[in-house]
Formats: sequence, structure tokens, C-alpha cells
Amino acid sequence: MDRETRRRLEDYRRNEAGPIENTFIDEVIAGEMDRRELIRRAGIFGVSASIVGTLLGALGEAPLAFAGTQAAKVGGRIRVGIIPPPAHGLDPHTYMDQGSLETGGIAGEFLTRATQSLTLLPELATSWTPNANATTWTFKLRPGVKFQNGQTMSADDVVTTFKRLVGDPTSQALSAFKGVLSPAGVRKVDDLTVEFALDSATASFPYLTSSTTYQAIILPANYQLGTFEKTPQATGAFKLTSYTPGNGAKYDRNTTWWGGHAALDGVDVTYYTDAAAADAALLGGSIDLIGQIQLTTDRPLFNNSNVQIFSAHGATHREVPMRVDLHNPLADYRVRQAIALTLDRPAIVKTLFSGLADIGNDSPFAPVYPSTDKSVPQRHKDIRKAKQLMAAAGHSKGFSITLTTEQTGEIPQLAQIIQRSVKAIGINMNLQILTATAYFAGTQTGPPSGWGNTPWLNAPINITDWGHRAVPNVYLVSAMETGGVWNAAHYHNKKFDRLAKSYVAAIALKDQRKYAKQLETIALHDTPVIFPYFYNYLAAGSKKVTGYKADALGEIYLSKTSLA
Amino acid sequence: MSRFLLKRFGLAIVTLLLLSIVAFAVAQLLPGNVGRNVLGGFATQQSVDIFNHQHGVYGPIYSQYGRWIGHLLHGNLGTSLEYNVSVSSLIGPALRNSFKLALLAFILCIPVSIVGGVVAGLRQGRATDRAITITGLSLTSVPEFVSGIVLIVVFGVALRWLPVTAQAPSGASFFLQVKYLLLPALALTLVLFGYIARMARAGTIEALDADYTRTAFLKGLSRATVLRKHVLRNALLPTIAVIATQVGYLIGGLLIIEKVFNYPGIGLRIYTAAQNKDFTMLETGVLVVGIVYLVATLIADLLYSVLNPRIRYGAAE
Repeated sequence: MDRETRRRLEDYRRNEAGPIENTFIDEVIAGEMDRRELIRRAGIFGVSASIVGTLLGALGEAPLAFAGTQAAKVGGRIRVGIIPPPAHGLDPHTYMDQGSLETGGIAGEFLTRATQSLTLLPELATSWTPNANATTWTFKLRPGVKFQNGQTMSADDVVTTFKRLVGDPTSQALSAFKGVLSPAGVRKVDDLTVEFALDSATASFPYLTSSTTYQAIILPANYQLGTFEKTPQATGAFKLTSYTPGNGAKYDRNTTWWGGHAALDGVDVTYYTDAAAADAALLGGSIDLIGQIQLTTDRPLFNNSNVQIFSAHGATHREVPMRVDLHNPLADYRVRQAIALTLDRPAIVKTLFSGLADIGNDSPFAPVYPSTDKSVPQRHKDIRKAKQLMAAAGHSKGFSITLTTEQTGEIPQLAQIIQRSVKAIGINMNLQILTATAYFAGTQTGPPSGWGNTPWLNAPINITDWGHRAVPNVYLVSAMETGGVWNAAHYHNKKFDRLAKSYVAAIALKDQRKYAKQLETIALHDTPVIFPYFYNYLAAGSKKVTGYKADALGEIYLSKTSLA
Repeated sequence: MSRFLLKRFGLAIVTLLLLSIVAFAVAQLLPGNVGRNVLGGFATQQSVDIFNHQHGVYGPIYSQYGRWIGHLLHGNLGTSLEYNVSVSSLIGPALRNSFKLALLAFILCIPVSIVGGVVAGLRQGRATDRAITITGLSLTSVPEFVSGIVLIVVFGVALRWLPVTAQAPSGASFFLQVKYLLLPALALTLVLFGYIARMARAGTIEALDADYTRTAFLKGLSRATVLRKHVLRNALLPTIAVIATQVGYLIGGLLIIEKVFNYPGIGLRIYTAAQNKDFTMLETGVLVVGIVYLVATLIADLLYSVLNPRIRYGAAE
């Protein structure tokens, strides 16, 4: 490191950086992260671009530079296919399905935006800084942002939006914020500053304010419920001008967008209930882009010279939770391990995703996360060992069980694969495949069990679809921690809970990895949930579409897209 | 005639009443709680109860039915539980779309099918008859989603002559709308051709064999006159009944075609309502389709009775 670099860093440490930023700089200097990870973590802690450039120079990397953007052709309306249509109204805090988040996300914006490479970009917030132990985060808002109804965005709007997200019982964002943030913790500091005092330390809190919490679209303080589809009032590059439930939506360019001038004149969305119809529309030139596709349902689009596939490496996955608290063989961890050992994961990934997926190791730590400790041994198919475990658990002759799941994507095929696989150890598995509506119907809170009566949280063994998150916090806290709101396995392990809290609060990457390794090891041993794979998020477009990038959660972000 | 009409009308009312009970009862079999489904799993039970109360989903089933039918009789179709907009604002455009597609399908299908059937009947046993009969039978036996997909692949994807989705952009001209509807209408024509042509053929053969036709020929009337005045008028009676039964199918039963061509007709609306447990939309949608069936059948009966006086006199006795 040359003298000038050292001087600039010391200057930053002395005058601007807090303890978290100093820990981050120490990690960089100690060589504990590569360029990608450095940029990602700099985004989390709101480190300025000039300091990031200095640190990259210290690492011997080329400093940050703005890539020359390809000149976009201005004009035209892109025709987008979304499968399926939104199932409910469009109030953002209630989003819980793909159609809603894609529809709302075209017009809406967030405090921060998570990118494909898991970095965070400023959106409606320009910077964010934590206190020493990451229990309080202060966000500076972008000045001069206009809502599409003409109002100017201020801290009041952000505070009202977040109080609704964390306080309204119909908010689906509670899956991310429960136990992290309460309404009382959201406070206006001044017109352009908002402070979040957290219920528990969360080093990756800025991610929870990003597009990965797809309900967190910033709306005016005087937003009336049920009016999102009636009046344009978000802040994005396109404003929603017409919406016909189940049929389609139209958006026009927002001429007052803070980000400048989007290339497209507008967006015409058509909703599809059937993947084959959307594929035919793309192949026949009736639409330009499909928000989400899958290999199992959209095969005609693959290896087609007229179609481009947009892929985002992420943590989208399926979970196979097994109830640990019922009086059946699944209560024994050896049986759960045995079931997991029957799966030929490389073959599953090849069959269902043609290799466009990572193999899971029965913990929520996807390979895409920098904090994942990859030294934990990968679980492989081992029928002999599985039979031994079944015998040791007193079930050498097998048993019968019903797996409940939903008619979504490749899940029915995965269910059949599991059904065939466990036959090898004598388990007679019946399949109950419900519509997604029936699968998620019912209560999720309250007595007698704490998980209501909804099938997806109460079936002995099930398969559930999980969207991508830029950090694994939701998977740990909601799906595996004792009493977690989406803990379908009803798993409880105090050591796991303690480690999960430590992981979520850990600021240094090496600490995160340390806790991750222990969490991965416990999850692998106890196997409350099988994580068979983490698959790439795929979208498809015609060759006319330029500048589009798939988002791992499925947001359709079109401000930089154009039509050739 | 008026007694015949009154009797038919009375029967239609009773059928509608029974249909409303069946539609309501079937909707109750769908799993899950309406308020819970709309408000989500995290909503308190109190919020769910309030939602259900506001939307009439409370109390015994018969009282829920009573409230629903009462509102219907006052012209209030209710509010869609899923989208929180009036059911009429969803059903109206969907029904209009279905009518458009049905109309085009009829315009394409009926003349071709009747001409084909009559020609086959007139040339009974010859090569033309066999060609029409076998073609019709083959087309009818192919499910509409297969013929629809074949049409899409050939005319939409490979040749790119016609759009593969049936919904024209908003503000599209009449001819553009027809262009968008052509592929699904063709798929329906293929399905219906064999059925209608077969009925027309059978009617023609029967009429040709009838005593009155023989008498007409013996009277020295020209072949064209005999065919026009005696054969066709009698031959098409059963065909009209068949066509009438297809009206209901073409308007309310095209779920598969609507899915394949992503056409927002009433079939697709009812399907998504059933999927999302949107009671009010589902019940009203089924009832509307039932009304369409009944009206179509009533019109067919009337036409039948006009063409064949024995029917109305028989009914009046």
C-alpha cells in the first residue's frame, strides 16, 4: 500500500468511519475478501465509492470505473408476460405472490436495490450507516424525489411506509422484519433522514430495506389502502396507468423520475395463467419478455435461436421440512438423515434444471453467499448408510407417510423423485399435491401449535417454494429458529438459535463464516429441512430486448432496458 | 303458442334457481377461509372475521345463500373477494370477450358445417360423403387444445401469419380484433365441424327419404325447389337443436381454448375464481353461464317450434 493510499484510509478512519467500517477496512487489509466481496460489503455498510476505490487500489485491483453504457434506442413499448396474475389487490405490503411483486415492482422503488452480484445500490436512500453494534441504522434519503402524484418524498413517507410494513397484521413483510424491527423503532430524524432502532442487532439490515423485501415499496404518507392500482403514486421509472385484474396492466414513462429518462415509452403487461401460452406468445412475437421461466415448464424456449435467456445466480430454492414434533418416525433425526441420504442431488439438478442450479447441503447457506463455509462436507446419496440409520432408529422395515405440497413449477416432479428415492429404504410415501391456494390457505399464527392450521406449516413432511434473498437471515430466523413464523419443521434447537442470532449480528465476514460453519453442521446433523438445490432465476426475452438483467427474486426492473 | 312459451319460461326459472343452489353449494366445497385467503396468514382472527362479515361470508350456509341471491335479485352482483372490485366490472368484459369469440366461431363454423353436412347427405355413399364424414370425425376426435397448439405452432410461430394470443390490444380496430380471434375461432371450428356436419347429413338423408320429398318430386317440382322448400327446412331441425346446445359451450365452456390462447373470457374468469376461492365471482360466473345456456336453449326451442308446428301443439296439449 503506498503512502497516499494509507493517508486517505487513515483520514477516513479518523474522521468518518465508525467501528463497523473500521472492522471492514481491517478485513480488507488482512486480505480476507476478494474484489466482489469487498464491493458487496462496502454496499452493506454504506462506504463511499472513493474509499472503495482506495481499498481496491490497496488490494492491487483496478479502481472502480464507470462502465461505458451501451447507447439505448429510445422509444417503444415493451410487452411483458407475467405468470401468474396477481392473486389479490396491489397494496405493496400484502404482496405474497410472484404476479404481485412483478406488477408492483415495475412502478415501485425501495430504499436500496439488491443487484445480481448481491451488492446493494442506493435507490431512494443515498447512504446508510450503522451504530457500533448494528442495532441502529440511519438512512439518508435522496433529495428531490417526486412521487408519481406530484408530491415530494420525505422522511414522513418512509416512516409511514415502514410502520405499515412492520405493524400491519396483513403485512407479508413481517417474515423479514418480525423480531428485527417494530413500529416504535422507525423514527424521522429530519426531512431527509430516517433512523431504524432494531429489536436485535442485524448487520445486514440494509438488505431488508432493499428490493428483496419486495413489499417495501416506498409510498406517500397519505397513501390510501386499495389505491395502488387506481392512482400512480410510486416513484419508479414507470407509472402504472391502467390495471385490469387477471388480464393486464399498462405503464407509461414517469417523466418526473429522479433517475432521468427511461429509454422505453412504456410497458404493456399481459398476465398468463399457463406457461405454454406465454411461451407461444414469446415465440410468436406477441410479447418481448417473460418475467420468469423454468426448464420444466418452458422447454421450447431453451436452445432457441430467437430467444435469449436471462439468468441470475441466486438462492431461490425448495425446502423439504420434516416435522420434528410429531409422534411419527420423522421425529428421529436418523430417519430424517436417512431420507436426505436417498437423494441423488446431481441427477436431480440435471433433470430438473439442466445444471442451472447449485446442489444444496441441507442448510440455508447457499453456495452464492460469501459467508457460506464450503468446508462442511457435502451430503451425497448413500443408500447403505441410509438403511443403517433406519435400522438404528428401529424402522428397518420402513413406514408410510404422506408428503403434502403445491402445484408450483417443478415441485410435483421433485415430489415424485423423493417418493421414488425413499422407496429404497422401505418408506411408502403418498403424495398430496394441492393447488397453491389450498396449500397456503388457513391460519399461520395462534394456537394450538403456534403455526395455525395452514397445510404448509403443519403437514408432517412437505415441499415449499422459497424466493431468493440476498442474505440468508429470513431462512434462518423465519424457517429454522425456534418459534420462527415459517418454521414448518417445528424445529427447536437452542444452540442453533443462539448461533443464528450471532450470525445475523456478526459484522466481520470471518465471524459470519465461523457461525455459518457451526449452523451448517448442526443443520446437516439434525436435518429438520432438506435443501436439495438452489436454482438460478431465469427469464426469457426476444432478441430485441437489450439492457435487461434478471433479478434473482423476480423483480422486473426496466429503467435501463430498451428495444433494438 | 303463448302457453308453450310460458311453460318454457317457467321451466327456465326453476332451472336457474336449482343452478344457483348448485353453484353456491359447489363453491362452499373449496378449501380455506375467504378472509384468511385474502388477508394472509399473519392477519389476526379478528381482522379475518371482520372481513368475512363485511363480505357476507358468515353464519349458516343457507343464510349466506339467502343474502347472495337477495343481492342478485336487486341487481347487485357483489364485490370480487380477490380483487375488491365489483363482480360486474369483471364479468361484463369477460362475457363480451366470450361473445366475440363465440360469434366469430359460429360465423366460420356453421355455414361450412351445414353445407358440408348437406352435401354429404345429398351424395350419400359417394367419395364426397366419405371424405366429409371422415374429415369431420377425425377433427372432432382431436381435443381442442391439441388443434389449438398445432394452429399456434404453424400459423403463429412458424409462419407468423396470425397472433398467437387472442386478446387484441386496447383500441384495436374491428378487423384487427378479428385477426386476433381467428386462430382460436379456427380451433373451435375444427372441433365443431364434424359434430354439426354429421347432424346436418343425417337430417338431409332422413328428409330425402321422407314421403313428402318423394311426393314433391312426383309432382314435378325441380330438384332445387324440392331441396330448398322440403329437404333443407326439415333436415335442419335437429341441427338447430345441436347448434343451440353449442352456444353455451362456446360462451362458458372454453376454458382450455382461453388458456391456450390466453383469452380473458368468462371460462378463464370462473377458473381463476375457483382457484383463488373468490366466492362471489365464482357463483355469479357460473350463474351467468347457466343463463346463457338457458337463453340459447329457449331460443332453439322457439325456432324449433316455429319451424315445426307439431312441437308447439304437442307441448300445448
